[in-house]
Amino acid sequence: MKTNTILILLLFLLMIYIDKKRGIKLFLSLVFNFLILMMIFYLIALGLNPIICSLLGCFIVSYIILFYVNEKNIKTRASLKSIVIVLIILLFLIFFMTYISRIAGFGYESYEEINMFSYDVKIDYTDIAVSMILISLIGATVDSSIAISSALYEVYENNKDLSKSELFKSGMNIGKDILCTTTNTLMFAFLGDFMTLLIWFYKCDYSFLDIVNEKTFAAELIRILFSAIGCILVIPITAYITTNALIKNKKN
Amino acid sequence: MKKIIIVMLFFVSIFFLFFVYNNDFLYSKEIMKIKNIKVMNEETLENTVGLKEKHYTKKITGIITNGKNKNKKKSLLYEETYSSVITDKYRVGDKVILSGNDIELKRDFYVALLIVIFVNSIYIVGSFKGLLSIISVVLNLIIFYIGLYLYFKGINLLFITVIEMIAFGILSLSLASGINKKTLSAIISVIISTFVMMILLLTVVKITNYKGINFNEISFLTVPLEDVILPELLIGTVGAIMDVAITMSSSISELVDKDKNISVKKLNKSSKEIGKDIMSTMSNVLFFTYLCAGLPIFVLAIRNGFSIYNYISTNFTLELSRFLIGSIGIIMTIPISTFVSIKLMKRGVK
Repeated sequence: MKTNTILILLLFLLMIYIDKKRGIKLFLSLVFNFLILMMIFYLIALGLNPIICSLLGCFIVSYIILFYVNEKNIKTRASLKSIVIVLIILLFLIFFMTYISRIAGFGYESYEEINMFSYDVKIDYTDIAVSMILISLIGATVDSSIAISSALYEVYENNKDLSKSELFKSGMNIGKDILCTTTNTLMFAFLGDFMTLLIWFYKCDYSFLDIVNEKTFAAELIRILFSAIGCILVIPITAYITTNALIKNKKN
Repeated sequence: MKKIIIVMLFFVSIFFLFFVYNNDFLYSKEIMKIKNIKVMNEETLENTVGLKEKHYTKKITGIITNGKNKNKKKSLLYEETYSSVITDKYRVGDKVILSGNDIELKRDFYVALLIVIFVNSIYIVGSFKGLLSIISVVLNLIIFYIGLYLYFKGINLLFITVIEMIAFGILSLSLASGINKKTLSAIISVIISTFVMMILLLTVVKITNYKGINFNEISFLTVPLEDVILPELLIGTVGAIMDVAITMSSSISELVDKDKNISVKKLNKSSKEIGKDIMSTMSNVLFFTYLCAGLPIFVLAIRNGFSIYNYISTNFTLELSRFLIGSIGIIMTIPISTFVSIKLMKRGVK
């Protein structure tokens, strides 16, 4: 039996153990997400504009996570709005950073892996790098956004007399807790990748300065940092939009 | 108070960036600032699928900015392509590091720039807590580095990794939420989960012997793969495990604080609800972070005429296992931390 088959089976059983209905729903949504991701990858490989494809993909994925796994309500609608705003703001920064730091393409350590291919593929790898950063930040960003909007909703339900500024402030407070744990999760997720890379650097006698300037290292680091910045940026934006939506809802 | 620190942070950042931009004297290799780029030759190449692409040979001229050849002019040739799969596009004004005939862009300034943006924004949004989480990241990196150092000295990497994971847990959790019962129960959960995950992975690997996982992606390693792969997979999960453990234990301690006489049965029921919510959102974080790492090589393969099915079933496997193991870690931690927290918080109560 293949290793991944066993792991998939194990994951599915654990999900059902936690909760039957939610578990099946979650597993299906992961399968969906996988199919969508592969579709985006394939469209990009066909030669469509990578940035537009990945933005569209991010939107569809957030839509599924928010409205299918959770429900369509005032909280998730506010979250979706915030995520779109974050994506638009970050798009420019990501494009600028990728363009000036030239982290597109492969570093030396991948040459062995890719030398079976021809490199004349007529796709600008700068755009591919931008797409990668965009797609990798969407999961973490959706996660912190939904955490804030639902916590804020609970606060509001328990105390309907809170003013707009008080509500925004408690949203920011909730955000602080989420921020620390999410930075941790992201960092360790990347540390696994870094481990092999660092062992390679060590075996090749790289100095600290060599490592910092190496393409793969810089690319990975920039990718983590953008995921983290996405999480940070979504906090005030979600707090603001959810507050507004709740207050507006009260007036009607 | 916060405003003063923001201003201070801003000035430190500016100084730091200025330093990194002008740190050429630290390098032992020569650094050149590009003054002029000229196209020398142009040719069109075609790949097996018939995609045509132009290759340029360019001559760059620049001034050396460090070492004994400082201020001397130098020029050299390099190749540039539209796709830049393994080449880079240089521009006038770039600083490049020269080593033999290879040139590499001096990227440290750009990395520093993004780090500065990150640190400043985490402070603005997260205040003191945000800074604490950065300190914890730095300390963890130091532990990680020490671990690697010990590995090169010949100690088993899996052993080091398990010790490290426990150290990460203790350090990050006590920094993030102080030293109290909540943290203690989260730390115990992290330790138990780490061991459970390790035993589970060892068993799965023993049964399947990595069947179906393609290690091309890390084929560059010169050390035995069996040494590295399991620790790598394990260490990727510890962040998520900690996240789940602390969320569970603080929610349960909140419940106990609100109602001191709450029964264990009722606690179990509420924790189950909290667990469900955590499960739904956490898996997504890892999913995209891991799986999108396969994009560049996927595009390369498809544009070289590979079929999509063949490619996914043979080459996408390592990323998938990373994600699966991370998610299993998350979900496994939910019942473990529920059990530990309830046992600890309701100790002595029947």
